[in-house]
Formats: sequence, structure tokens, C-alpha cells
Amino acid sequence: MKILKSLVIIAVAALAFLFSCSSSATVGAVRPVKERKPAPDFTLKDASGASVKLSDYRGKVVLLNFWATWCGPCKMEIPWFIEFQQQFKDRGFTVLGVAMDDDGWQSVKPYVAERRVNYRVLLGDDTVSTRYGGVDSLPTTFVIDQEGRIASAHVGLIGKNEYLGEIQTLLGIKQTESARVLPGAADVYAASANQ
Amino acid sequence: MFCLALPMSTLLAQINKPINITPPEPLLVKAGANVEETLNLSVREGFHVNSDKPKDEYIIPIKLTWTGAPLETRQVIYPKPAEIKVGDQQLTVFSGSFPIKTQFHVAEGAAKGTVTVSGKLRYQACNNEMCLRPVTVDIPLTVTIE
Repeated sequence: MKILKSLVIIAVAALAFLFSCSSSATVGAVRPVKERKPAPDFTLKDASGASVKLSDYRGKVVLLNFWATWCGPCKMEIPWFIEFQQQFKDRGFTVLGVAMDDDGWQSVKPYVAERRVNYRVLLGDDTVSTRYGGVDSLPTTFVIDQEGRIASAHVGLIGKNEYLGEIQTLLGIKQTESARVLPGAADVYAASANQ
Repeated sequence: MFCLALPMSTLLAQINKPINITPPEPLLVKAGANVEETLNLSVREGFHVNSDKPKDEYIIPIKLTWTGAPLETRQVIYPKPAEIKVGDQQLTVFSGSFPIKTQFHVAEGAAKGTVTVSGKLRYQACNNEMCLRPVTVDIPLTVTIE
């Protein structure tokens, strides 16, 4: 378990280093504005074949989630993201999913339809993943502020509340009581896996 | 400010090795014989890899394949997987140390000498918090026909 924790710490530290190059190594909470770096821009296609550019979302808070249909922890997060999209879409927020499945839309399209994903899903490629540090582990999620800067980065499953708190902070919404009482996602996942 | 742009992929490449594969023992065989090779694998603590027969269609199974004369693959035998429930998903996985056995038949007219047969192991690993992208590892097997 110690080795596992070390791996997560190293991965998070690597992300922090890559995206800050500053003395601060804080990842997970919303960074102070002066420490945020621009989110690398990209253009990817959605399921309809339309090109989607990240910079087109300037002015919105974007939750950029790298995921795959074969990734269990990713699948735990997707219902939360559907909920966030529903809850905050009219308040200057959107989720963008970037699927990293090797077989492309063949797996992604039916999965997205089955789960009734209500946000835009794009098909990722190596160029984009390289710009975001490699994305060797999934899920990897970036919360991007209205100015197109990375406000937080997460490798692996974190709690729904952490995302909710970050989104609310960036949107200037007072955090709700309900956001503080939900269990951590990793705890739920671990409990299930140990059954 | 000096900024060392060390790619995270480089760092992760050093830690993203969830499986340790013991190189297979060279085979010493005769033409026309049946022979079994065991590949021993060890999954890093905290991780699991999907079994060869996952219950979910989206899950990527572990798969060992061999190509190259004079060996013909008759059967690849995986151990019995463990069943775990993750979220609402039922998974069949391997963790810890486990073998994958392959039963080969050596071609009748195989010429004497040493050749290398090419194996490929494809797998996808996860722990409780994240999954690593699927990888395919080359496994060379030295075969000497006597």
C-alpha cells in the first residue's frame, strides 16, 4: 500500500511540476490565479465529426476529463460529471470528455449512448495527451478557469465533493452543505473492490 | 525562471510497470514433440490486471499470443481469476503472482538449430484509484530444436 501511495504522490507531483514549474506543488485544490498556467489548446472531433477547440470554451469553467470505456474509476466519475453538467451548464460551466480508447468511436459511441452522457465527448489522440503530460493514467482531469488556465489537476479518482468544490469556487458559487457530507469516491471504490 | 520541462510521461514510464514478467526459460525440443512453456508474471501490490475473460464487454482482457515457426500454439491456459466487485461492476482479475501456460506443438519437419519465437502479452492494469493504459509487451522465446 505504501508503494501505491508513493506512485500516486509521484504522479501528482509530476503533474504539479509540469503545469506549474513553480515552487508550489499543490494539486487538487484550486490554485491561486497567479500560479495557474494556460491549458494547452487542441482541436479534436466529437461523435458527429465536428471539430471542437478547447479555446472556443474561453469564458467558461471547463472540466476536462481524460477517460476510457475500459477504465473502472473513470466510470464512477461519469455520473457525477453528468450531474455537474446538468446543474451548472447555465452558469458558465461545461464538461468535456476526452476518450482515450484505442478502438475509437467503436467502443465510445455505444457507451456514451448507454450512459446518456449529456456533455460533449471527444476522441483523444497522442498529440493531445502529450500536451497534457502523457496521460498514462486514467482518469486524469483538469479543471480550467474562465481564462483558459489550469486551476487544478487530478490523476486518478478523487471525491465528487472535491470537484464540486472546485467548480463552485471558480463559478463564484457558495459551497453547499450537501457537498461536504458525501463520501470520498476512492473510499467507495476501495470498499467495493475489497468485497 | 528556469523551467525543466520533463515530460510526465517520462516520469510515469518509470512507475507504470504494474507487471513484472520473468523471461521464459529457453526451450530444448525435438521435432514433432508437444511442449509446455510457463510464463510467470507478478502484479505489483495494489494493482490487478483483467482476466482473459472479463465479464464486461468494454474491459480489455489479458492476452498472450505467439508467432513464429516451428512452434504451433495449441492452447494458452490462464489461471482461474478472482472475482471482485467495483462500484456496480463485476470484474474477473489477476493479482499477485500467476502463471500463463502455453502448449506448443513443434512442427514435424522442423530443422535443427536455434530460433526465436515472438510472444506478445497485452494487458491492462488498474488499482483502486486509476487505470493504466493498455500495453503490449514483447516476449522473445528461444527455442532449440535438437
